[in-house]
Amino acid sequence: MNRRVAICGGGIFRPDLWHGENAEEGVAIAYKGLLKQCPNLRADDIDGLVMSYFSDHLNQQLCMGWIIQDYLGLHAKPGYRVESGGATSLDALINAYYLIQSGFYDVILIPGWEYMCEVDVASTNEMIASAADTDWDFPVGGYYNAYYASLEVRHMQLYGETCEDLGRIAVKNHNNSTHIPWSQWLSQHGPEPITLEDYWKSRMVSWPYRVLNNAVMSEGACCILMAAEEKVKKFTDTPMWITGVGIGTDSMRPGDRTANFVYEGFKDEAAIYPDFVKSIKTPYPEMANFASLHIAAKRAYAQAGITNPMKEVDLMELFTPYDGVELCLYEDTGLCGRGEGKNVVREGTAEYGGECPVNLSGGLTATGHPVGATSLYYTTFLHWQLTGKVKDFCGPDGLQVDDAKRAVITGHGGTGCQGAVVVYEGD
Amino acid sequence: MEEKEGLKEQTLRVRPIKRGAEKKYRDYPTVLDKSTEAHEFWEPIVHQGLWDIKGHKIVKGPWGGGSVEDAKKRPPREFMVIDRASFALYSHSYGLVSPFFRGLLEGKLMGTKCPECGTVYCPPRAHCWNPECRVADCYDNWMNLPLTGIIHTFTVQCLAAAPFEHMLPFSMGYVQVDGADTTLPTLLHMRPREIFIGKKVKFEFVPEEKRKGDLMDVYAVPAILDEKAPEWACLQKDAEQMKVLEDSIKATQEFIKKRYGIDNSPEERGW
Repeated sequence: MNRRVAICGGGIFRPDLWHGENAEEGVAIAYKGLLKQCPNLRADDIDGLVMSYFSDHLNQQLCMGWIIQDYLGLHAKPGYRVESGGATSLDALINAYYLIQSGFYDVILIPGWEYMCEVDVASTNEMIASAADTDWDFPVGGYYNAYYASLEVRHMQLYGETCEDLGRIAVKNHNNSTHIPWSQWLSQHGPEPITLEDYWKSRMVSWPYRVLNNAVMSEGACCILMAAEEKVKKFTDTPMWITGVGIGTDSMRPGDRTANFVYEGFKDEAAIYPDFVKSIKTPYPEMANFASLHIAAKRAYAQAGITNPMKEVDLMELFTPYDGVELCLYEDTGLCGRGEGKNVVREGTAEYGGECPVNLSGGLTATGHPVGATSLYYTTFLHWQLTGKVKDFCGPDGLQVDDAKRAVITGHGGTGCQGAVVVYEGD
Repeated sequence: MEEKEGLKEQTLRVRPIKRGAEKKYRDYPTVLDKSTEAHEFWEPIVHQGLWDIKGHKIVKGPWGGGSVEDAKKRPPREFMVIDRASFALYSHSYGLVSPFFRGLLEGKLMGTKCPECGTVYCPPRAHCWNPECRVADCYDNWMNLPLTGIIHTFTVQCLAAAPFEHMLPFSMGYVQVDGADTTLPTLLHMRPREIFIGKKVKFEFVPEEKRKGDLMDVYAVPAILDEKAPEWACLQKDAEQMKVLEDSIKATQEFIKKRYGIDNSPEERGW
């Protein structure tokens, strides 16, 4: 069986630093938003649920998926949880895609949520860092910001981007975020745009990353409805089709990527490794790039028939918890070659109006990152983009890409331990 | 115990359970050394903490669906928020790479070498991950590695997770121990001005009585005294960045002094 699968709609409970509503109530609000978008959707239409949430210990609750399913009154249906760190929400969506495409189910609801502010920020960081290897990486600093900062420093040393390049990405994404009426940045800081000067003033977290380079802590929820092509018409006239899906993985510990045998076949990428630093056993991806995303993109592009993403993709939503990840992903998703990410920043290619705008939603560092909902939010945003409805949902200031036909989204867990790429196309 | 307004602190007193002789089961593991065993110490704490409501607050705030503007337009609503504690003690095995951590206790760095492909792992692997080697056993093929290496990459932290906050500011990095093919997460006891990719370092250990058998027992210091960073070094080549970072480091030191009463200035701790 090989049938087309579409996103029919997405309901959003906005991300913010804190919500009085608890997780099940937040998901219910998001589900209600979805029912408004798909007024013909009845509980009977839903064949199964894939629950998307990352953490058990942030809320002292195992099996929260059961709470959600019963709270929505959908507890007779098949349902299970998908979890893969930061990649959780996109992997949940991909799981639903596999289930529908294979013919087991026709219509699947994906509720995604995360409540990340019950524990103080330093302890929340500690709990998130327990997604790193707790015997080896965690004891030394215990902080994803630090792991990612050291990955970025390696990339910076090899390929020459500067702190200003990282600042430009931060400014771009925060200013994009002010065009999203449900953005966390908007809620906390208001609609005024920021400048590079604001960036230089923001507090240092882990060099080279400042506060404005890092993902926010969020609470929020999102519900997405997916259906097989035969069923789509009932729910929407403006579906968004999934035309390519790829998942990739890499070593748990980034430090092991200097002897990373599974990526030995990537000779082209390895060849660009500069020779002024000591050569190592396997120069691709080592600690500078994200091979999991690179291989996921190759797989997704092969399905979607994409050979030159810069020309053939209208916009991208990259999963970028740290701005250096965005720069590296320009390379790993094929917008440019290895080591050329800085040029994408400097030439403005990824800005609104550029050849391939990236993170017009504002993304994880500004608009919000409640892990289990994150990629569902930005999938919903791309749905508006590819159906020309950004201004309907975001108002007249919404950053609609004219005539957008094809978009790419990525998911990203651990230190690039897990990567996912999905290609979306309009009707 | 101190009484708080509203909710009273739990006054339950718990004495540790005195454990008798090890239970002997046939073929079960035998504890050879439990001189630092922590359960007796920890057990009463669990009774004080686990699932215990320490207090509550009433919080008034925006609510409901829609946009930020929608939420702010509605009259705010009151929510009850409880403070609920949880802690547990995990007895976790280091598995077949236990010799590495016992080595740390003795001030040694050890790696494993794959008998098939010859790759040297530090962090050690008990089995080779090279697909060609078909999960070759490395766990009896230990090597004593030299206490020297090269910084593969690094960062300078001005923030850290809760257990490490009092140590701020500090640098962590990934160091390729000489002779190993992989890189080891390592604390770098050196000033940011000196740190660069490719720098030669020496490993040192905390005093023996303070070693716990994890990577915090070991740290790296410069192998060459007063070595200047080369002109291509990504942190130091931009003088302005270096100054901003040093200001941030100073501010972090002041914060830690205020919060923990710990002086982490270079004059005090020597790096």
